[in-house]
Amino acid sequence: METIEQKLKNLQQKRKIVEQGGGEKRIQKQHESGKLTARERIEKLLDEGSFVEIDTFVEHRCIQFDMAETKAPGEGVVTGYGTINGKLVFVFAQDFTVIGGSLGEMHAAKIVKVMDMAMKMGAPLIGLNDSGGARIQEGVDALKGYGEIFYRNTLSSGVIPQISVILGPCAGGAVYSPALTDFVFMVSGTSKMFITGPQVIKAVTGEEVTPEDLGGARAHNQTSGVAHFMSENEEECFDQIKKLLSYLPSNNLEDPPFEETEDTNIKILPELDNIVPADPNKPYDMKDIIKMVVDKGDFFEVQSLYAQNMITGFARLAGHTVGILANQPRALAGCLDINASDKAARFIRFCDAFNIPLITFTDTPGYLPGVAQEHGGIIRHGAKLLYAYSEATVPKITVITRKAYGGAYIAMCSRHLGADQVFAWPTAEIAVMGPEGAANIIFRKEIEESSDPIATRNEKIEEYRDKFANPYQAAARGYVDDVIEPSTTRVKLVSAMEMLMSKRETRPAKKHGNIPL
Amino acid sequence: MKKYKITVNGQTYEVEVEEIGSAEPIYDAINISTQEKPKEPPKREVSKPSQAAPASKKAPSAGKISIAAPMPGTILSVKVKEGSKVSKGDVIMILEAMKMENEILAPQDGTISSIAISEGASVNTGDLLATME
Repeated sequence: METIEQKLKNLQQKRKIVEQGGGEKRIQKQHESGKLTARERIEKLLDEGSFVEIDTFVEHRCIQFDMAETKAPGEGVVTGYGTINGKLVFVFAQDFTVIGGSLGEMHAAKIVKVMDMAMKMGAPLIGLNDSGGARIQEGVDALKGYGEIFYRNTLSSGVIPQISVILGPCAGGAVYSPALTDFVFMVSGTSKMFITGPQVIKAVTGEEVTPEDLGGARAHNQTSGVAHFMSENEEECFDQIKKLLSYLPSNNLEDPPFEETEDTNIKILPELDNIVPADPNKPYDMKDIIKMVVDKGDFFEVQSLYAQNMITGFARLAGHTVGILANQPRALAGCLDINASDKAARFIRFCDAFNIPLITFTDTPGYLPGVAQEHGGIIRHGAKLLYAYSEATVPKITVITRKAYGGAYIAMCSRHLGADQVFAWPTAEIAVMGPEGAANIIFRKEIEESSDPIATRNEKIEEYRDKFANPYQAAARGYVDDVIEPSTTRVKLVSAMEMLMSKRETRPAKKHGNIPL
Repeated sequence: MKKYKITVNGQTYEVEVEEIGSAEPIYDAINISTQEKPKEPPKREVSKPSQAAPASKKAPSAGKISIAAPMPGTILSVKVKEGSKVSKGDVIMILEAMKMENEILAPQDGTISSIAISEGASVNTGDLLATME
């Protein structure tokens, strides 16, 4: 009969085997390719010593092909919970050293279990992806695994923050779990995401492309908009995750974390009075304004490389987390286009789901003209922005710094879409269209009949500019709550925020709306 | 593998061309099969082109980047000359579009190797403005 000592020893041995993952050789290979192992990653990401593993001894039950003899310690994924900055999080990390981190039935079952726990406890879920894909030997059981993960990603959406970290290959069906989550982090050179890889693409279409160009961190952060954050290495990536989490509540019933700030709330910023150039055709950097207004100048940008004409990101105002959206006059003149609308709409819906107030800075001449935009569906993509702003019930504050023309004025969280407070700077131009275009239409007859049409036209442009290219028409109707000195923007925003903290807005009960996707 | 039909002196040849690697074109893989029996063997130039293939001109030299127009508009001014040294973020030219003087910035440190447009030119999205290395 086994003694108690032997039983304990047996347990320790079994645990050790699982902790070794795919063994020393494969761990070395993982390190050589510049990657950490699943356990090292969890250790670096979570608070020291806080990680508690579950499902250590789970094994696959596949006997097809040579799988009966194949041992997969830990089933190629490490799962459990722990804390980040003292706050509970659930985590799974795929282990590439164990049969390529491939996803089989039991591998998926481990992930599904932590996902269910994260939902029940109302804590963020972080998935560290590093997997060759489905475990082909397990056939449809592997597909079932993916499907169950997607289903839970969807049920958790808007309930707990879900973060996907791509730390290796993530190809085929595996990409859809990250795509369903709120934020995707990628590391240059390490992360790869694609539905069909370079080899398949070459065989089918003849296009030649490297994996990095096709689905690397830059491709998805800059071109496709699939990813939200890019980093140079895994450590930097984990720091970004911690920073992001510092702005977020653990679930949709919690308020976002409040952080006492040393920054004074009643701060006059004289630099802001002269930041918008007198010439409306000259660009300026909207991020300068954002950084001056928020606490400690700390603005954490989301999707900084994608659709740069629309700025999105998190910051704090008087200690409260806020989601910031702004047009960027330095990129595409600050026009709204398909990608900008898409990016902004998704960000707004995340903030609304997690009780994060929205602050919008407007300076946009309108929608970007062009056949590509129209045929690309700017009508339905642009509609997402209107829908998302209208749907959001969190406090919504808008600051119009300069241009707010036509449909784009409405779209950028105007009073008409439910903004709670709208401030305009004296430099604001709120009108149906720019003076040049408007004068040509309204005064066409006068200009045509004039003996000097060019002079008359310029005269009429000026007349229109004086009459309409200012914030006072809108203020006269109450569409703008106040025209403010730019230097007082922080003071006004802080007081409006505090006034709005008790905002309550109920909408008719419905299953869900039908956002134009 | 690409297939071409080539007619030489009224004889049609079916030629299959496979590109191996993208850096330098290699012509070893050319197979020539004839649909009809040719009276003469195919010309040598077809099967063995000289080493200095004209195709090499098309391939841009390594490290060159092209700067394209981000939106349709008019070039208001060009701030650099061919051969100018620029650092990342320097203004290369001003593109007036949507009543905004949009700054076209250098995407990285380097030298302007060519300027494709002149002041006052109208450009469309994606048109080449300049190249640098």
